[in-house]
Amino acid sequence: MSRAVFGATAESSGARPQTMRRPLPDWVLALALLAAVTAVWELAIRLLHVSTFVLPAPSAVVRSLIASRAALAGAAASTALEVLLGFVLAAVTGIVVALVIARFERFGRALYPLIVLFQNVPKVALAPIFILWFGFDLTPKVALIVVIAFFPVAIDMLAGLQSVEPSFVALMQSVGASRTKILLRVRIPHSLPHLMAGLKVAITFSVIGAIVGEFAGASHGLGYMIEFASTQLDTPLIFAALVVISVLGLAFYYVVELAERLLVPWAPKFEAHHRAS
Amino acid sequence: MTAALSVVHPLGAAADAAMTDAPTPLVDASDIAVDFYLEGRRQRVLQAINLAVPKGSFVSLIGPSGCGKSTLLKVLAGLIMPTEGRVSVDGIVPREAAKRRIIGLVFQDATLLPWKNAIENAAFLLMTADDSIGRVEAFARAAAMLKLVGLDDAERKMPSQLSGGMRQRVAIARALALDPQVLLMDEPFGALDAITREEMSRCLLDIWQRTGKTIVLVTHSIEEAVFLSREVHVMASAPGRIIETLPIALSQPRDADSFTDPAFKTAQQRLRGLLIESHRRRPA
Repeated sequence: MSRAVFGATAESSGARPQTMRRPLPDWVLALALLAAVTAVWELAIRLLHVSTFVLPAPSAVVRSLIASRAALAGAAASTALEVLLGFVLAAVTGIVVALVIARFERFGRALYPLIVLFQNVPKVALAPIFILWFGFDLTPKVALIVVIAFFPVAIDMLAGLQSVEPSFVALMQSVGASRTKILLRVRIPHSLPHLMAGLKVAITFSVIGAIVGEFAGASHGLGYMIEFASTQLDTPLIFAALVVISVLGLAFYYVVELAERLLVPWAPKFEAHHRAS
Repeated sequence: MTAALSVVHPLGAAADAAMTDAPTPLVDASDIAVDFYLEGRRQRVLQAINLAVPKGSFVSLIGPSGCGKSTLLKVLAGLIMPTEGRVSVDGIVPREAAKRRIIGLVFQDATLLPWKNAIENAAFLLMTADDSIGRVEAFARAAAMLKLVGLDDAERKMPSQLSGGMRQRVAIARALALDPQVLLMDEPFGALDAITREEMSRCLLDIWQRTGKTIVLVTHSIEEAVFLSREVHVMASAPGRIIETLPIALSQPRDADSFTDPAFKTAQQRLRGLLIESHRRRPA
């Protein structure tokens, strides 16, 4: 009895893929979901008569975006510059720390716990100190981004450097390869997919670092605009700035993802794609 | 360097050879013992190993898991220093021999670099071992070795596009590209399915017959050991030791008919008996 039922299910599911159309691409579904959430939000605000000071409707946010477009664009440019500089310095710092720990094992064993200890300091709390040290300009924001974003780079790169198969290292050693040679020819290329994963975390941390840095004290940037708008009780402008920050963060993220596809097409995550092509 | 040479003095070796009137074996281990420290306790992993592999021979090490056959192979490769005894490969200590590219290594995992294609992987170790060798020359040698292992049409394929057997062929080509005198193989076909395994056995036999390399193979498979070897060393564990050395009297060259040779059956049954015995001697 039950066998017959299962048999019927298997048959019908076997026939389905031929009759079904191609599924919609993921991004279409994501956009549809976003549109649906926005529509519900808009409707809820209108039906429940929520005050704009508490939560503006999407239409109000869009109006604010258009009205303040010049100011928002200027603020976005300042923030983008901070993110870019901070991210590049964080990446370089993270890579150097990982290489030093991997190459000089003894020194690395001493350094590693200190870095983990430092990671446990709430970095956001350093923002006022950096303002004290470096003033209100670009430098304190970049410094904050570096201390926030270097850690995922260092940890992921280190994991990559250390996860080379021991038998492969033995093979290299057997023909007399030095530690430096093994590092350069095997460990570093092997660590690149891990490094790219770390960079993707770091770029999102960098945007957060820039905004927090601007909260602590700034005269321009998207974080500063949010601070300014909140003193004016201009909630739609706060949301408009948040939209710009999100778009900026997304753009940076996809630049890193694109770099990943170009630099490490052999990474395990692309393997399925690789086989197909 | 001086330490390496003093272990087996060239004159002494020559004198020994003259006295016994037999050629010096290419791989020569005498009275090897290896101790490991496990949780602070000294444990004897290998005991009283004597192994002499003549040049051009094919020798297998077979035994239960944990009998130390892989450890013995690592000692021969210079990756582990023996606690007692002497090892020489082509008259020098294994570590030096490996640096001079006398030893080629193949492991159970192909360990190919995923960012390099087949020919780059096959040339990689040679280029690492010898900085003076040009890319063109290294690639020419790698290409010849890929051809030898039957992969000449897959030179540009990435490891992820190759099957398990093909990857292991690249690993063998990589070892052969060093032009070593001896190939040390640690369960090279252990991760492959039965049919691929048989195919790889025939491929290895072909390589051996064509190149005349000396081969030492660690394996779990009785059939593989009998089909390929001139001599099979059966090991037992705790401590790891060679309990019997069985010459395989199959006619040369070996081919598909070898499986039906009565000598094949005899050797197979004898090995099975020895392995069961060595299993029984293991402490539970």
